[in-house]
Amino acid sequence: MAEVSYVKASRVFSGNPPVRAVDELSLEVSDGEFLVLVGPSGSGKSTALRMLAGLEDVDEGAIHIGGKDVTNVPPKGRDIAMVFQSYALYPHMTVAENMGFALKLRGVSKTEIKAKVEEAAKMLDLQKYLERKPKALSGGQRQRVAMGRAIVREPSVFLMDEPLSNLDAKLRVETRANIAALQQRLGTTTIYVTHDQVEAMTMGHRVAVLKDGLLQQCDTPRALYDRPANAFVAGFIGSPAMNLKTVPISAEGAKLDGIVVPLSRAALDAAGGLDEVTFGIRPEALGIVPSGDEGMDMTVELVEELGADALVHGAVKIGEGSQRFVVRVDGRTPPTLGQHVKVAVRDHSEIHLFHPESGERLEA
Amino acid sequence: MRRFLERHWYAYAMVLPVVVVIAVLVLYPLAQGVFFTFTNINEANIANPVLDRPATYSGVGFKNYLNVLSGDTSYGAFWGTLVRTLIWTFACVFLHYVIGLGLALLLNREVRGRTLYRVLLILPWAVPAFISAFAWKYMFNAQYGIINQLLRAVGLPDPVWLGQSDWALFAVIVVNVWLGVPFMMVALLGGLQSIPGDLYEAAEMDGATPWQRFRNVTLPGLRSVSSTVILLGIIWTFNMFPVIYLIAGPNPNTRILVTYAFERFFSGASRDYAVASTYGVLILSVLLVFATVYRRALRKQGEVW
Repeated sequence: MAEVSYVKASRVFSGNPPVRAVDELSLEVSDGEFLVLVGPSGSGKSTALRMLAGLEDVDEGAIHIGGKDVTNVPPKGRDIAMVFQSYALYPHMTVAENMGFALKLRGVSKTEIKAKVEEAAKMLDLQKYLERKPKALSGGQRQRVAMGRAIVREPSVFLMDEPLSNLDAKLRVETRANIAALQQRLGTTTIYVTHDQVEAMTMGHRVAVLKDGLLQQCDTPRALYDRPANAFVAGFIGSPAMNLKTVPISAEGAKLDGIVVPLSRAALDAAGGLDEVTFGIRPEALGIVPSGDEGMDMTVELVEELGADALVHGAVKIGEGSQRFVVRVDGRTPPTLGQHVKVAVRDHSEIHLFHPESGERLEA
Repeated sequence: MRRFLERHWYAYAMVLPVVVVIAVLVLYPLAQGVFFTFTNINEANIANPVLDRPATYSGVGFKNYLNVLSGDTSYGAFWGTLVRTLIWTFACVFLHYVIGLGLALLLNREVRGRTLYRVLLILPWAVPAFISAFAWKYMFNAQYGIINQLLRAVGLPDPVWLGQSDWALFAVIVVNVWLGVPFMMVALLGGLQSIPGDLYEAAEMDGATPWQRFRNVTLPGLRSVSSTVILLGIIWTFNMFPVIYLIAGPNPNTRILVTYAFERFFSGASRDYAVASTYGVLILSVLLVFATVYRRALRKQGEVW
């Protein structure tokens, strides 16, 4: 059990110019918390995790685990366990040997190792496979062995590097829930890296969004969804992605294809002086309205039926050109391809405005 | 049967030339060699078209085998020679493997000029063996050789390396190790590069020291490569004729089974083809038995091979 903190930690890869894979990352993870690092590939999330593991140097700043500065401590001395994306199981050892390897190296007695391995195997439903080699296991079982190897050591921090990305979709959803439940039960501080924002939202107590080595925002899933700090987070969190369009604004509001979406006083003040803003609205905050009502004219180009609801992709004229919007509609009555529909904002409180250049969130 | 031929005639037609070549180059000489072991064939009674002399050798049953296996010195002291062959083989392969592994481990790191080192270390392999052998023979020369000059310069005794003593065996082992290390190094380097890096990271996270990582990740990761190259190395070294013969000649202190078979076949007063063939068949048998035992031992360890 321990809290973790990154103090302006950077990792710079030499090159010309040098690449700041992780740039002055500052993060506080409290004891027992499940923190997810999420970002597109190349965002530095894995590097940040490996810095905490001790597999990657910290070039600037520091990393603390349990209040102790571990910046220059080798992995061995950090009391952490890691689950790798490839699982990295030792191919010549049985499941039990894999799980007990760290304890064996520490010189724990054989009976104690056996007891601990069995306890972990019970937790992960692996008892039947203890004598098998990794080769004879399915992907999901291997994943559980990798988890078991981490659990057996009873470390103060778990690190997980995309542990679900090699599983098929159904198993991934199932394992996602299992890992979250397991973490809840063990109460061990966990740092989890993923590129999948659904995983991030469903598993993390808090989610840290990274891009190009820079921390964009770190907050609870709800807060990330409701109040994204910038256009990148807004576009990254949520599926399908938020509609983000650059639109002209005036004193009345934002102009979209003949309609003016009224904006709050505070928002207009924040955008003061700008004649354009990045206007963001989630597909679920838009809706199709009867043709007589006020709204944007949209030509339906694609309908994705998901069962409960359907995603309607279509083009809307804004200014000179046309922009594509996605609208989430009821799954039972989707429009047909090529149909002209009226789209209106259903909930004005769900409008997000961002600075057109910096991408920073506008309004208080 | 006809349907079968109709369907597959093309495949068989393509395979036929290889079958013929192997039959002529391998199977026929092998069968002839085995046949000779049951005769008393030598230079005096083999058919000689130049002298217009018909073959006059005759079958002698298992007499050649009995003579050879009796260990009699006039038949090459089989058991003593076998022991020397085993010493030679295991000393060479052990040193090949250990030195090759050491160099492969060094070359598997990020070092400056890695490509250059690799090329230099593969060089002994690229030079024709007989050229290296003659170079070494000169270096081992008791009077003018660079080795003894160096030894004398630092005041150490300078033995007659290639004389009638066990120094000769030592010398040929040194040369063969020098020749054989590159192959082991290249093969093991390939093996090392196929071990996933995250296994080392996982072991590091598990708290393994560098030695423990070597024991628990590197060695098991190399097992399939090692088992193959060690078997190959043993077979090749067991039958390594040119190094010994070119460096030490027909020296009884470096005599191994193949060199004795050669001596018996090509030199000496009688040119005893029968006994030479008997040696050949015995070498083949020893290697077959060894390979079978080796494979069985590996399979017991759970190696799929």
